[in-house]
Amino acid sequence: MQLKEIPIAGIPYDQIKIAKVPATPEYCERPAELIPSTSRSVVINPNRTCMPLGAMWAVLGVKKAVPFVQGAQGCTTYVRYTFSRIFKEPAVIATASFHEDAAVFGGRRNLVEGIRNLVVRYWPELIGVVTTCSSEIIGDDMVSFIKMARANLRKEIGAKKADQIPIVLVNTPSFAGSHVEGYDRASRAFVETLATTRGEPNGKVNIIPGLLYPGDIREIKHLLRHMGIEAIVLFDISDTLDAPLEPPTSVPYWAPGGTEVEEIKDMANSLATFALQPHAGQAGARYLERKYGVRAVVGPPPVGVQGTDAFLKALREITGKPIPRSLLEERGRLVDSLADTLHHTMMKKVAVMGDPDIVLGVTRFVLEMGMEPVALAGGTASKTFVHDVEAILAEAGYEGEPPLIINGGDLFEFEEYLKKQSRLDLIIGNSRAVDISRELQVPLVRVGFPIYDRFGYQKRPIVGYRGGEMLLAEIVNSMLDYQYPDDRTQQL
Amino acid sequence: MLIETMPERTGHLEPANLPACERQTLPGVISQRACLLYGARWMLAAIRDAVHLIHGPVGCAYYSQTVRQKNYKVFSTGLGEKEIIFGGGQKLEEAIREAVSLYPRSSAVLVYTTCAAGLIGEDVEAICKQAAAALGLPVVPVNCPGFGGVSQGNGHDVAAAALLEHFIGRGSAGTPLENSVNILGEFDVQGDLKEIEQLLQRLGLNIICAVSGRATVKNLARAHRARLNIVHCGRTGRWLARRMEERFGIPWQKVSFFGLDATAAALQAIAAFFNRPEAAAWVEKEAEATRQRALPYLGRLAGKRVALFFGASRMGSMAGAFRELGMEVVLCGSQFGCQEDYTESRRCLGRGTPLIDDAHQRELEEFWHRYRPDLLVGGTRERFVAHKMGIPFLVFPQETSPYAGFNGFVHLAREAAALVGAPVWRLSNNELLREEGEEKMAEYVRYVERGKKENGRSSL
Repeated sequence: MQLKEIPIAGIPYDQIKIAKVPATPEYCERPAELIPSTSRSVVINPNRTCMPLGAMWAVLGVKKAVPFVQGAQGCTTYVRYTFSRIFKEPAVIATASFHEDAAVFGGRRNLVEGIRNLVVRYWPELIGVVTTCSSEIIGDDMVSFIKMARANLRKEIGAKKADQIPIVLVNTPSFAGSHVEGYDRASRAFVETLATTRGEPNGKVNIIPGLLYPGDIREIKHLLRHMGIEAIVLFDISDTLDAPLEPPTSVPYWAPGGTEVEEIKDMANSLATFALQPHAGQAGARYLERKYGVRAVVGPPPVGVQGTDAFLKALREITGKPIPRSLLEERGRLVDSLADTLHHTMMKKVAVMGDPDIVLGVTRFVLEMGMEPVALAGGTASKTFVHDVEAILAEAGYEGEPPLIINGGDLFEFEEYLKKQSRLDLIIGNSRAVDISRELQVPLVRVGFPIYDRFGYQKRPIVGYRGGEMLLAEIVNSMLDYQYPDDRTQQL
Repeated sequence: MLIETMPERTGHLEPANLPACERQTLPGVISQRACLLYGARWMLAAIRDAVHLIHGPVGCAYYSQTVRQKNYKVFSTGLGEKEIIFGGGQKLEEAIREAVSLYPRSSAVLVYTTCAAGLIGEDVEAICKQAAAALGLPVVPVNCPGFGGVSQGNGHDVAAAALLEHFIGRGSAGTPLENSVNILGEFDVQGDLKEIEQLLQRLGLNIICAVSGRATVKNLARAHRARLNIVHCGRTGRWLARRMEERFGIPWQKVSFFGLDATAAALQAIAAFFNRPEAAAWVEKEAEATRQRALPYLGRLAGKRVALFFGASRMGSMAGAFRELGMEVVLCGSQFGCQEDYTESRRCLGRGTPLIDDAHQRELEEFWHRYRPDLLVGGTRERFVAHKMGIPFLVFPQETSPYAGFNGFVHLAREAAALVGAPVWRLSNNELLREEGEEKMAEYVRYVERGKKENGRSSL
């Protein structure tokens, strides 16, 4: 901490930074008592969104499944728009299309007719019914509505066909939580509805990835393949939300891939369930453990060296398969990259924002790089977040100034705190932090949900050793872009 | 019959006349429509010096933060379970107070009601009135719960009503300002407004206020002193223009700045209104010069077929613009057009071009399959389906450069040509994949036939 020089050709540590000028006159003084989000009612630029989004994300990871949103049209449109912008893919989400009549008389007609219309035009292999604020407030009895919808379908298309289409209900009143919890609830709703029998052990492991992008899920599958382990990935969006462009073929359009319904049914027979993100997916894993004794392994997110190590070690312990040489080499390459870039990352001040699991994973990784976190902002409030962060800091032997930990705050709080810092080198977070990054004149490395203003981030992994290498490169390069005079960059 | 669809929907697809419109969307479809809040935000987000407070769970605020590809600051009351049960009125009061004390330079507060706030039945209006009295600045309720109305179009109406009641003409009575106009229903997407402003400046006119594109509380207060209201988007501007005519006696003109002829006609009409036809002497020449500038791109576009799907009141002029590019408009559709919009579009399109109201994704796919246009124009949500079907897609409202005015026309020509001629469409139709593709197509035909036989009705 006392170092004044870092090993970069004699440039004093506090002089490498280019002078920062506030981009706008927003640097005005604010009443200090109103800055922490816990001491005010108003939320300014929220750092999380609503529960239904998480559930829709989950349903889109199942093969030929359509989320059916029991709510007004906007609840679907906004989410479809969000997904389209992130994944650059079509997102097929049906709406119950609530209008005033539904708000007054309830949404029964909307659900029963809606399911029928959806089935006869799309023939989906699964329907995930997702509730919203409105349907929860008016008190729709979804279980009995779904029964009615099923009875109606049987009349119309015959019992055999009607029963082939499972309908999974995910209760997601959006005022009660965030998209992370929506995904969590979906993970439980799916195994509870579909994985109902404990039969022959299948020797596989279950993976509930959480809100990870297609690139991340591909990377996890790569790790599993090299370990020689068969897995059921619940909510596998790696193909459904990253589909190839092939000759125009059929109507309606169905993306390839996704978790098959049969696979989900088989999940009670697996060796263990890995919930890679503790906040998103834990509920499903815990349910399987309680009900069928399928062991639950919750977290840590496999980001960085230790995160991935922990994942692979747990896999080795449960399946008894060794970690192959190829993966050890990948690990070695990541560690080598850490050594190669050490002089750029050591003691740099970083702020991380996003969903709690992403923040936890990334924090552990930046500590491995020798960076010093100044603020860690998880958008979704959770009971364990503060404790987890402290554990990670303790584990890394972090001795610097303790960072500000925001558990469920908004971006205003995050920004106001960062403005008061004497030094900040980097923000790691999602696209919502763009304005903060511009205001404070520090680079932003985009990680997590949502990233809608850059291309390819949904395909580039951050998990696993190879993902770590990519994230590290991104971090180092964006700091070089921002913070070093042009004639010094060749010293990398 | 254009395509096979559900019986309830047949009136909405019209090959020669006006489609049925402004009806509720069927449940269970993949609707392209949005909600009231979306419409209201689309219209009001541009008021930069106001606090935009979304009264509801944070999700609605989160999605309202980016409208029209721009980032805004949004405030939310962040309703939780407690408020849903016991009421969120107090929280709203506090939130208004806090927002204003954190951003003391704001000149107004807009409070948007969401589904949740609408359903728990709070007296938002009374709370706003109280807050306005206490804080000494306008606190404006915008009653836009998502389930109200049939589409975002109704949200535009709600927003326009709020503007009229609380912002426009709130300042001094004032005399009309010479050479001044308002633009209503212009959203300043990717700099459209700047293009239009430059053209108007050449006519010697100033824009007081571009409602919903670039407005401030102060400008809106002066808006009633304009000599003329120019309505660019009918769905959002027409209602407001009529009311302003009634109340302040400001005449209005519906014009369009998309396409050469439309732009020229608009400028001449405006010049004629201000009794200065000599000011518009350059317009014809400019249009011709622009056509010359666009010429290099037209070779690729000549005779190509284009299908449109966006806001109904832009349809007529955009169709005109595409015709000027030498393209044939084979299909027009809109999520939320009203009778007036469709009448206007029909007049521009002539009989024979199908007009579709509230098409959902399934129908669109079917149409694209059937009509096989060379270029599709529409919003982001339709874009990626089109890509998967191997059809070039132009996003409108646009994502790159302005399409309005003369320069905009050249941008449009360049981008349309770039999309149609992109090598990717050749690559996606690679012979390596074609055999399999044909098999899939045959499978699809069998599937449709089977659906008909088994259910006695179309499976579409």
